[in-house]
Amino acid sequence: MSPQSRVWLAGGLFAAVIAAALYFPALRHQVRNAAQLTEKTAEQARRELLPVTPTAGSEPKVKVKMFWGSGNDDGLLRPVTVELPLSDDPVLRAKEVLNTLLAGPVDPEARTLPPDAALLAFYILPDGTAIADFSEALGTSIPSGIQSEQLAIDSIARTLEANVPQVQRIKILIHGQEVETLAGHIDLTQTFRVNTKVPGAPVPPAPSAVSVITAPIEKAVQKVENAVKR
Amino acid sequence: MLDPAHGGVDLGARGTEGIRESEVVLVFAAEVRKALEAQGFQVVMTREGNDNPSFDDRSARANAQHGAVFVTLHIASTGVAGSVRVYVVPDIPPSNDATGLIPWDRAQGPYIGLSHKLGDLVQAELAKRFRGSPDTALVAPVRQLRTTAAPAIAVEISSVTVPDRADLDHMVPGVAEAIAHGIVAFKPSYVLPVPSGTPGAAQP
Repeated sequence: MSPQSRVWLAGGLFAAVIAAALYFPALRHQVRNAAQLTEKTAEQARRELLPVTPTAGSEPKVKVKMFWGSGNDDGLLRPVTVELPLSDDPVLRAKEVLNTLLAGPVDPEARTLPPDAALLAFYILPDGTAIADFSEALGTSIPSGIQSEQLAIDSIARTLEANVPQVQRIKILIHGQEVETLAGHIDLTQTFRVNTKVPGAPVPPAPSAVSVITAPIEKAVQKVENAVKR
Repeated sequence: MLDPAHGGVDLGARGTEGIRESEVVLVFAAEVRKALEAQGFQVVMTREGNDNPSFDDRSARANAQHGAVFVTLHIASTGVAGSVRVYVVPDIPPSNDATGLIPWDRAQGPYIGLSHKLGDLVQAELAKRFRGSPDTALVAPVRQLRTTAAPAIAVEISSVTVPDRADLDHMVPGVAEAIAHGIVAFKPSYVLPVPSGTPGAAQP
């Protein structure tokens, strides 16, 4: 190799080293960003797709009765009055009180729902049946057991009864799907009675805390499932 | 019919000291079985090892027996330590089926009155032995009970969060005795309900 070729080769190698030194930090930054994107869970992606619930910050604050646990591990609920800006719209109002219920009380021992659970969607059908779609954490993070699962359902039903009189019963979905139980015990295939004292509302046929699934609920479940698929 | 809940990959409730509901209920079930057999009852278990039959499989085994009572055993994650609660399902609306056949998911419907009677009797026995237990059975839509065509109760013991597994082991004889005494007291009032639509069925 001639001396001139060696100079050209050395120059080329030097230029390649400089280019690599400049490019690698940028490449590392891009790889990190890509990794962060792939770490997003399907649930996070779903939450981003859902319409943002309008905040009721401009609404006047009203006294709201929330039903959290007694904090004594006795399976009982205790009403707590808090002040919240609430919408007059029953769906927005229900979302606001359920999100407050999920946020939890001051005393963590009185919590009835897991802190990492989220309300993904909420509808009210014309017959007064509400459909509440929660994230998977509602079932996976709740302490397993008849008492703890029943307390969670009761806290949802009693809080809605106290603050959203339009809701007569509630159907609970997990991530858009009907599931057999909340965490292995309490039956989620049926609806839970919330409020039967609505003026003019039809009285359900049996004095049951649970009623059978009706066609409108199945349609609503299908609607939520389709939203998940999209 | 005795049903130790969970099993297999389903460990049920888990305590901080490594206590697993699926294992502990087998210990309770074995003792309840002995107490019932001592009273002259024939006992069938939904599982005796670490397997996990489905809800429907467990109910199907019970529904194949004639004149059975069904007791599903659970250890809670919560509750006052050392207390025991009995649960029965809420009322189930009757079926409108003209054939008189009862849909699978409403199998418990005709037996709810008997389940309340059985539940109250067993709960009263438990309340005598375990402080902090309620005096009468509680109502909750327990999935396992809904498809069971027999007087059916869930017994839930608190809890897997006890500081020492021995705290639960000490409860085993008392729970077994209470369930056996409750079922003995229930036996005279156990008359199988007559399906609606059949000759001899009660008319409204």
